[in-house]
Amino acid sequence: MTSPPATAGPLVALDDVRLTLASAAGPVDILRGISLTIMAGETVALLGPSGSGKSSLLMVLAGLERPSAGGVRLAGHDLAALDEDGLARLRRHHVGIVFQSFHLIPTMNALENVAIPLELAGDRGALATAGAALERVGLGHRLTHYPGQLSGGEQQRVAIARAFAAGPQLLLADEPTGNLDGETGRAVMDRLFAEHARLGTALLLITHDAELAARCEREIVLADGRIVEERQAAPRRRAL
Amino acid sequence: MSAPSQLVDRGPLAGMRAGRPRSQITYAFRLARRELRGGVRGFRIFLACLVLGVTAIAGIGSLTEAVVAGIRGDARLLLGGDVSARLVYRAADEAERRFLADSGTLSEVAKLRAMARSLDGGKRSLIELQAVDSAYPLYGGVALMPALPLATALSGDGGTFGAAAEAGVASRLGLKLGERFRIGDAELELRAIIEHQPDAAFGGLAFGPRIIVSQAALAASGLIRPGALVNYEYRLKLPTGANPESWASAARAAFPEAGWQIRGAADASPSLQRFIERVGFFLDLAGITALLVGGIGIGNAVAGYVASKTTAIATLKCLGASTRVIFAAYLIQILALALVGIAGGLLLGGVAPALVAPLLSGLLPAELRLGLYPLPLAIAALSGLLTVLVFSLWPLAAIGQIPPGALFRDSIAPARRRVPPLVAATTIMAALALAELVVLTAPDRRVALWYVGGAIAAFALFRLAGAIIVAVARRLPRPARPVLRLALANLHRPDAPTARIVLSLGLGLSVLAAVALVQGNLAVEVESRLAEHAPADFIIDIQPDQLAGFAEIVRAIPGASFAEVPMLRGRITRLNGTPVEEATIAPEAQWALRSDRGLTYAAEPPAGSRVVAGSWWPGDYHGPPLVSFDAELAHGMGLKLGDTLTVNLLGREITATIASLRQIDWARLGINFAIVFAPGTLEAAPQTHLAAIYVAPGDAEEALVRQVTERFPNVSAIPVREGLAAVARVIATIGNALRLVALITLAAGILVLGGAVAAGHRRRVYDSVVLKVLGATRGTIAAAFLIEHGLLGLMTAIVAAGIGTLAAYALVIGAMHSEWVFLPAPLAMILGLAVVVTLLLGFAGTWHALGAKPAAYLRNE
Repeated sequence: MTSPPATAGPLVALDDVRLTLASAAGPVDILRGISLTIMAGETVALLGPSGSGKSSLLMVLAGLERPSAGGVRLAGHDLAALDEDGLARLRRHHVGIVFQSFHLIPTMNALENVAIPLELAGDRGALATAGAALERVGLGHRLTHYPGQLSGGEQQRVAIARAFAAGPQLLLADEPTGNLDGETGRAVMDRLFAEHARLGTALLLITHDAELAARCEREIVLADGRIVEERQAAPRRRAL
Repeated sequence: MSAPSQLVDRGPLAGMRAGRPRSQITYAFRLARRELRGGVRGFRIFLACLVLGVTAIAGIGSLTEAVVAGIRGDARLLLGGDVSARLVYRAADEAERRFLADSGTLSEVAKLRAMARSLDGGKRSLIELQAVDSAYPLYGGVALMPALPLATALSGDGGTFGAAAEAGVASRLGLKLGERFRIGDAELELRAIIEHQPDAAFGGLAFGPRIIVSQAALAASGLIRPGALVNYEYRLKLPTGANPESWASAARAAFPEAGWQIRGAADASPSLQRFIERVGFFLDLAGITALLVGGIGIGNAVAGYVASKTTAIATLKCLGASTRVIFAAYLIQILALALVGIAGGLLLGGVAPALVAPLLSGLLPAELRLGLYPLPLAIAALSGLLTVLVFSLWPLAAIGQIPPGALFRDSIAPARRRVPPLVAATTIMAALALAELVVLTAPDRRVALWYVGGAIAAFALFRLAGAIIVAVARRLPRPARPVLRLALANLHRPDAPTARIVLSLGLGLSVLAAVALVQGNLAVEVESRLAEHAPADFIIDIQPDQLAGFAEIVRAIPGASFAEVPMLRGRITRLNGTPVEEATIAPEAQWALRSDRGLTYAAEPPAGSRVVAGSWWPGDYHGPPLVSFDAELAHGMGLKLGDTLTVNLLGREITATIASLRQIDWARLGINFAIVFAPGTLEAAPQTHLAAIYVAPGDAEEALVRQVTERFPNVSAIPVREGLAAVARVIATIGNALRLVALITLAAGILVLGGAVAAGHRRRVYDSVVLKVLGATRGTIAAAFLIEHGLLGLMTAIVAAGIGTLAAYALVIGAMHSEWVFLPAPLAMILGLAVVVTLLLGFAGTWHALGAKPAAYLRNE
């Protein structure tokens, strides 16, 4: 079971996290001792070449992948102590995720997709809240459209509305503009940062886009499963 | 071919140009071979459906051939000789007997129904008595327990004769070997139990167990009286080289008025052969049904395969392959796989008779002739191939017609596909060819045509029902709970298999429901309604001089009554002067011409029948012979009022004019005859009386039957309740056989469902992973999938129960003219079965989906 989050200390704390996956060619070390903290409301960009372990780190953080060694604490909970359903409940209450490929449920319309996490949390006003969330991302006129009837940018905005709908403390975004053109990508990111500002949600953003990374307070660079560089953004850049 | 595809044909890919079909076909083969290298994983359901259907048809056909070949091979054993001449009521006269004896080795067998009684009269059994001579059997041997020679078992010593009987006689009379009993006036000793008799008649409804005695014993029994229903069979072993057919012609020419029925080995057991062929035919239809249901699985598999190759197809098109080449390449792959499936089915079906032979031994009078029968295998192979074409061309062509761009976007909202006229026409022609194959290879084309019509109607009905379910699910208000919403949405999403599952699983379930309901209704009819109005016993072979004594006995029993009529037996030989062999007779009326029929004469119309045409003769009629005929038989024989009917009675032909037609209520089980003569024609002929006695079951019935059979040992009592119980048992057996057949269809439906569940696996895993990311627990996700499958099973079952009930209702009311009773139990069973099957398969699929690791599905490509 997940309990109310502990407010003291970092929102996320990774302590020497290692991830080794089996492959046909033998075990592959994906993460090699990652230690990291993210404070509540902080925005962090995760950079690095393909195969450096960025997405794996995000999966470990979200409780979607169990580390081979090391500890992960999220909102005061030790993820190792939670079973699969416990992790699902933790995500339900504290974590929102935005993927590059959107991952909407194709048989549900935009409103229903956004309402899912609220409904799972037992929110009686789920549909109204979801409607308001879609209004905020500029899709108030597309509530009953199915993912197949929406453009890529619209689908990603639905995904953002869904990720923020339950008011998570942490939002994980895995190259959210990777499938979008420049203009649409910028609009989507504006929406994402606007929601972060509105809710005070901590943001961990995987990106290859230096300009986008520069909008975060901190940049972490991963290479070969290790943190190779960590830098704080200048206050003026953060204001962008 | 469209202009763009002609253009791309000149592209870099093949060096093939439009107008060079040979190189295109060669390339299609090469393409097909490359694609097939990837394995046939996606075709497991395709192959399973095809193998099941082809195995069923090949197996059933081979088994039928093996049984029929066995009957033909054992024809002499079954007939008891090379030829057999049968006379009813009378033995052959001196001249006839001399002719027979001069023709070869002669054996005489007399057969009649009789009563066997314990010495104290306390126990009785209706039996089939066979009196044989010393030459019997001409072919084969009678196996007895203990292993005595037949002559020893039947020999008479000091007034007591030996008898060999089926085990049933011993148990009914409470006899042990060596103990005595009576038949008529004769006292017999049970010397042996019959274990095998080469010419044992085969029949589902024997009146009683067989007893073999000597002809001397039969004479001593006193049962041979004028008009007694005795069949005299004269079997001949002809000299080597003699032709049975020539002999039959000679016999008919020598004794044109004899009225004997002559059969050769070629038609030794026509009724048995007909029965086997008919059973084989119905089982074969079940095999075809399984194949058709499997066809849906085949179509699904092809559609799924093509969908999985969308990118490859689009890429090929981009590289310059024409739609025609790609279509040909995929059709070649499907046909190659079809050949594999058909070969597997033929192999399994070909060996099936050998596997079931041990189960059938003892049930049939002839041994199976196991072997390779090419005709049923060819029919099975052709049926399989045509089914594959009917169900594959559509999905193949539809995808092939889409331009590459549409193919890339097809996963969520399929474009409206146009099926080319050539493909539509080929599909329809393949379907017609399949229908024609079913009709042309059927022994009863009328039933086969009904089947084809029924199959088309059933497919259309279930498809419509499936479409309605999808439409209703789409229009239902969206449930507030996401679990329910997901379940409901999965029923009507664009490529949901709902309609196909309703069709494939529903067909088997509806057959099962219809069989259960018809069987249930027949059981109610036989055990309740018929039994209620039926007499307690029929008493047969009452001599005219015994009638007064018989009436005296019945009247002395309180509450007992009886009805009696004179009874003779004769065979219809001519219709309006035309020999029946040359007349065109509807199949439903042919039974009346196959052997002798009971007939009577009466001054008043019999109870339980209604004159529907013409008028009944005056009570004091004396004039030229008139008959009143069964209206349905008259219709089947093409007879009307004023036509003539010729009946051979004891070797004498009597031609009578049809004065009236009657609608007969056979279900009353009272006394009634299809042919009733007017007074004045048959009174002088040797005859007996048939009586139906009405008495309360128990002591009164027991006392009545006992007194009658004690006083008149020549008469036989046929207990109607026992007969009804036997009929009920036969109905139950047929019901079980039909249920087994329905299960083959259901198995095909389950395969299709399994295929659909497997095909939906990717989507289910995806839904499951996304829901987990959003915070759904495994319980929540499992609930959604199980609700989806439960709803699907429930709705399929409701539709199947509805259609099955309609079919059963139509059969019971329309074909059987019986009363309809609604029976909820079989329908509840169908509902339960459908839900359990869908839930189990759905659960198996869900279990896999729940265990999927999300990370692998969420990483960016």
